Amino acid sequence: MLKIENLTKIYDNGFKALDNVSLEIPDGQFVAIIGLSGSGKSTLLRCINRLIDPTEGRIIWNGIDITAATDDELRLIRRRIGMIFQQFNLVKRASVLTNVMSGRLGYLNPVYALFNYFPSKERDRAMKALTRVGIPEKARNRASALSGGQQQRVGIARALMQEPEMMLADEPVASLDPATSHSVMKYLELLNKEDGLTVLCSLHFLSLARAYSDRVIALKDGRIEYDGPPSDIDDDRFRQIYGEEAVEVEIH
Amino acid sequence: MTQANPSSPAPSRSRAALRRTLILIAVAIVLVIFAYGWQVTEINLERPQEPVRQTNVTNALRELLSPNVLTQDYATLAVSIPFQIDCPEGFETPPVTPPADGTPYIAVEPACASSSETVTLTGYNFASNVLARVTWIDGDEQRRIRQVDGQDNFTIGLNGTFSVSIEVPRIRGSAGELHALEVQQAVPSGVPRFTDTTREVLDKMVETIFLALIATAISILPSAILSFFAAHNLMRAVRMSLGNLLVMFTLLPLGFLVGGVLLSEVGGFVLRLASGQGGGVETTGLSLLVLGAAVAARRMPTSTLSFEARLRSAAMTLIGAVIVVALIGLIGGLGLLAGRTFTEGIPGVLGNFVGSLGRLIELSLPFIGGAIGAFALTNVGTALTIDALKTISPAVSRVIGGALGGLGGAIVLGMSATVGMSAAWLGLLTPVVAAIMGGAILPLLFRRVVMHGRRSTQSDRLLMSALGWIGTIAVFAFTFVQLNVFRAMVEGTLPPNDVALALPGLNISTYVLTAMGIGLVLGAVGGAIAGTRAAFPVGSVLYSMTRTILNGLRAIEPLIMGLVFVIWVGIGPFAGVLALTLHSIASLGKLYSEQIENIDTGPIEALESTGANRLQTIMYAVVPQIIPPYIAFTMYRWDINVRMSTIIGFVGGGGVGFLLQQQINLLRYRDAGVAVLAIAIVVSILDYASAAIRERYV
Repeated sequence: MLKIENLTKIYDNGFKALDNVSLEIPDGQFVAIIGLSGSGKSTLLRCINRLIDPTEGRIIWNGIDITAATDDELRLIRRRIGMIFQQFNLVKRASVLTNVMSGRLGYLNPVYALFNYFPSKERDRAMKALTRVGIPEKARNRASALSGGQQQRVGIARALMQEPEMMLADEPVASLDPATSHSVMKYLELLNKEDGLTVLCSLHFLSLARAYSDRVIALKDGRIEYDGPPSDIDDDRFRQIYGEEAVEVEIH
Repeated sequence: MTQANPSSPAPSRSRAALRRTLILIAVAIVLVIFAYGWQVTEINLERPQEPVRQTNVTNALRELLSPNVLTQDYATLAVSIPFQIDCPEGFETPPVTPPADGTPYIAVEPACASSSETVTLTGYNFASNVLARVTWIDGDEQRRIRQVDGQDNFTIGLNGTFSVSIEVPRIRGSAGELHALEVQQAVPSGVPRFTDTTREVLDKMVETIFLALIATAISILPSAILSFFAAHNLMRAVRMSLGNLLVMFTLLPLGFLVGGVLLSEVGGFVLRLASGQGGGVETTGLSLLVLGAAVAARRMPTSTLSFEARLRSAAMTLIGAVIVVALIGLIGGLGLLAGRTFTEGIPGVLGNFVGSLGRLIELSLPFIGGAIGAFALTNVGTALTIDALKTISPAVSRVIGGALGGLGGAIVLGMSATVGMSAAWLGLLTPVVAAIMGGAILPLLFRRVVMHGRRSTQSDRLLMSALGWIGTIAVFAFTFVQLNVFRAMVEGTLPPNDVALALPGLNISTYVLTAMGIGLVLGAVGGAIAGTRAAFPVGSVLYSMTRTILNGLRAIEPLIMGLVFVIWVGIGPFAGVLALTLHSIASLGKLYSEQIENIDTGPIEALESTGANRLQTIMYAVVPQIIPPYIAFTMYRWDINVRMSTIIGFVGGGGVGFLLQQQINLLRYRDAGVAVLAIAIVVSILDYASAAIRERYV
């Protein structure tokens, strides 16, 4: 259970990205977070694993107050929360395998890093993760040599290395074409259904949210505009979230 | 909106006119600056026209461009022909038959003559375009040079023939004697070879290249480490709670002292054993023990964060510190052993190198021990107090903050005052450090008392900035006056080294004690206002310090550093290596850090989100991105260092520059030309090579 209480984030330049957001997300839910650019989707996701420190409010996950955690505690919390990004955030010059294994660093002795050493069982685990996302043959390639969709799957494999209980996906398909988008979303759906991971995924397209999520949270100017099942979003609600002139487009 | 529109063209016209005027003024100012510069640099169009100077520069350039690179041996070729003084009756010039093998021969016409008469000497088959001379050999075998056209030597024409007029010498009592005429020519023999100058230059050039190589190589590691501290994007976000920082800071000198004594003893013991000053059995046993302990110390990160776990981790840290020091001692000792064992040939060269490294470790053991001790103790202190500091009430946090802040402040200013005692102008350090501390206090107070945690507005920020400056200036002035820095700076005197406070093993002078008092007050006030839970921007502070040091070091020319090092380690390449190393560290540190600032931050964010710690994040998200530019910039630096090492010899820093300076001072421009040529060739090759490598990696 992830519980967000009165979360507010004000950036140093005075921009209020989140305004008193409260949420409860039970384990195993697939939650889509939608809204316009700048509505606070990324900030909300990044507050959960504290890549961004919230200004006010609390985030409690399975009874642990994430917002109060020290650096050491935070690392232990973070390694149970996977995250994938719009720009994939892979080290482009490094091999796919290294990129995937680097997802396991939170579990490894930091001294290993000095010698660029990974135990062999982590290599096996990384190969298994790559197999799961369907690109084991790319392990030796440089990350930059892969297509966008493949890079995002490497990102998922890297998150899998953490053996996460929750997955944060920040616009995971915004840089991808529609067909690739669906393949990436299907992998997230698989993790949600098979492994029971809680998935929080910010999306631009409502159609994707409708296709994959159990629940839609719409943000507008840092506030929750809608919170409910995707099927309940009719044209009025849609205009409420995206503005009067918006037209819904389908992505197939 | 509607009011502004009609009136807008007028102001825009006047604004354009204003802009034109401003541009004109700017151009005029630039012109004046340039004209002044023209005068200051004494640009003079008349001096280069003076004939003497033109002749001098032509000669100097001619010699420089005729470098004394090659030399050749010469063999003297001599051909003679008899000559009768005073023609007897019926004398006829004997016919000359050209030798069949084409060797040189000469003819004289006429073959007899009286003193002061002129005869014509012709020669064939000589080496063309080479100097020759004519020698007169009289009846007593006395030889004297006969001048041709008033010169001792003449040049033989291109086809190897010549025809010159010779005056018959007046020699007392020579009438009727048979004399001889001889033509001598120095003919090049054998292959051209390098001059001694060239050999010396080549020798020094090798020294130059290696000087640059060693300086660059040594500077890589320190500048790579410094570059992380000098990278704004990495350091900006590093914050630490003031309480933890102060705990660390008060334990730092203690750890350094204890480590410097105890840990360095451990290291020294292992070093002595390993270097063979102890027995072989003990060495092997101890090495195995150390390795075993190192293997046993492999531990997984603590999965629980209880106090017991922290205690255990603290104990491990201390044991780890001992092991690391012992390992360093082991490496140093083995190095010394190797240095003593291998003394001949290539193993000897390696042995000397490894032995030197061992000696370096031996010498720096107190420092290494101190650093590791400080690291271990601060680590342990932080681990044991972090939970306690988190749970204390605000009031207690302020009391502890005040106490620790006072202690920390006293330590900081005490250290800077100790440094300041060593030279008059270093005395400025203490007021500057105090001013930085003082500048933080008023804005902190404002934030706590006036703002009460509300968000800062524009005017708040302005006011805090003003308060910061007021505090900075006030504290600087106060400390400056209290420590009598001004007088010391004017008179160049040092503060008296009296004993105001005697601690065991540490005597503190009045000067240092005053500084510590100021630090105590500033630290206590700051700590009490901020409380132990305030986030201290430790990263920004480290960043500013590193950048300041790097910029300061880069401002000092390597030639000047070379001067100082020559005084310290004597004339020779070692001084040059030290000077170039120091400058390279500063320069590469800056260049490297700019590469870090240019990296893609996405992977950093991604790895942080997986729970990787800072070291791991840097190793896997930063390092892969910076390796190519680091290689490129290292090559570039080597290139620069070769150029610099060619002139570091001017101040005695070794390399070809020393030779060049000597040759120039002795006005031996042809020899100087050799050095100039060698430098030009090496620099061009390296320039090309480094460009090629950089292109490949960036």
